[in-house]
Amino acid sequence: MFSFLLFGVKRAWQGFWRNAAMSLAATATMTLMLLLLASFWIVQAGFLASLSYVEDKVGVVADLNENATNLEIQEVQGRLKAMPEVRDVQYISKDEALARFREERAAQGQQDLTTYLDKNPLPASLEVKLRKPEDYRVVASFLQVEDVVAKVQNIEDTTDRLVELTNFLRTFGVLLLAVIGSIVLFIVINTIRLAVLGRADEIEVMRLVGASDAFIRWPFVFEGALVGLFGAAITMGVLAAASEPLAAFMTQFFEIVPVSVGSISRDVTVLVVGAGAGLGIVGAWVSVRTYLIR
Amino acid sequence: MTIAPAPSTARSLRRRILERGRDQAVPDRAVLVLHDVTKRYPNGKIALRDVDLVIPEGDFVFLVGPSGAGKSTLIKLLIRDEVATRGEVVLDGQDLARLPRRQVPRIRRKIGIIFQDFKLLPTKTVWENVAFALEVTGYPRRQIRPAVDQVLAIVGLSAQAKQTPNQLSGGEQQRTAIARALVHDPRLIIADEPTGNLDPLISWEILQLLLRINELGVTVLMATHDSDLVTALRKRVVALEEGRVIRDELAGAYHRAG
Repeated sequence: MFSFLLFGVKRAWQGFWRNAAMSLAATATMTLMLLLLASFWIVQAGFLASLSYVEDKVGVVADLNENATNLEIQEVQGRLKAMPEVRDVQYISKDEALARFREERAAQGQQDLTTYLDKNPLPASLEVKLRKPEDYRVVASFLQVEDVVAKVQNIEDTTDRLVELTNFLRTFGVLLLAVIGSIVLFIVINTIRLAVLGRADEIEVMRLVGASDAFIRWPFVFEGALVGLFGAAITMGVLAAASEPLAAFMTQFFEIVPVSVGSISRDVTVLVVGAGAGLGIVGAWVSVRTYLIR
Repeated sequence: MTIAPAPSTARSLRRRILERGRDQAVPDRAVLVLHDVTKRYPNGKIALRDVDLVIPEGDFVFLVGPSGAGKSTLIKLLIRDEVATRGEVVLDGQDLARLPRRQVPRIRRKIGIIFQDFKLLPTKTVWENVAFALEVTGYPRRQIRPAVDQVLAIVGLSAQAKQTPNQLSGGEQQRTAIARALVHDPRLIIADEPTGNLDPLISWEILQLLLRINELGVTVLMATHDSDLVTALRKRVVALEEGRVIRDELAGAYHRAG
């Protein structure tokens, strides 16, 4: 078994270099396809991160009655937290609301008019963060009937539209990735098929001298894996070289969006290496199969 | 047909045990038996009709006939590239039609096959081309070198071992192919127009080599168009026409005598 493995890998290595022109062409195609796949994956990941960021902003804000006691507020807060739809509840006191308002005005470069007021007009509020923006209505109607709540701020229309849009964009992204994936699959498998076709003589000789199917197949499968892994290595090299400016651009572009570069690069590595080796192996397997079945 | 008495070797004994209980018409010492073989291709063309042929061990047989007579189909049946529509093809005691697919490579190792176009791999040297046949059949690595060196000596190519096929003459290329066919120590050598691409002098050389291999005890079946070679040698001649054996004579000529 081990000697067969050794034989297969050795023959794959020889086969790769003795047919260098074809192997390198296949590797180049593989590299380009993996780059295409990886780029779309990265764009998709950034895109999804922005979508979740936007969705995170959707929450239910309930203004509280002036006369609500701390105890009542805490009790409502506790029941909210127990709801499965609720991710987090934050109590914003009157002072905090004022401070926030001032900050916003300052950020917009406008005059702070609140100093002219003798008393803080802003109500305290509960800000409820949701697990899914679709659950907006459930939480809003829960809050509406509470005594401590003066008014639930109405963002129903906006939320509905946002949910519609993000769902559409998500589906679109997945579809696009699927289309790109199938294109990559067909191109890579066809390239490997061509490379195997160029060695039909070799396969014929092997059949004629009485090589078993395994002895014919596995060296080609290993060679396919080799093409895939070389392609993946080059792709990762290119991505690593491009990652610095790319990351800078991404941070700039998304600015506020917390894109986790670490997890994306790990996913991309798995994707590129897995797709490279997988496509190489599958491509070689199906291509050689044509010659074995008689 | 008379069959030469069998030398009582362990090998022939083993085969006799294998063939025991077979059709009584099948001789003991035959490397190859075709019994009532018909081959019809899926497109309806009948390439062979009711072919009976027995090739005893150690025989040298010319297979002649015009193009399209069924020579290629016959060879394809022997290496089990095709399966007979009807009848039996028995190679070394095994009915090829009943052979499971997994066993096909094993039976092919009992046959050495040589083609008009040599089918050498251009990226490998002479030595590697011959060794290739052993490597891809899982031959123990230590035994490959002496086996290859030995067959290259038999075909007289020891000096050219490190050259690639495109550095060789046509005759040398065909001798490389013969070495590759021989290296498995086959029971039967099938030569499909082996001199078709060679000039007469080199053709003679190749034929001499095949005769010498035959003298070493390997059965040879040679399909050819070369009437001069066939007639000059007076070996057994099997003539095919339109899929039938129309002539099978010992010490025959290319054309019907008289």
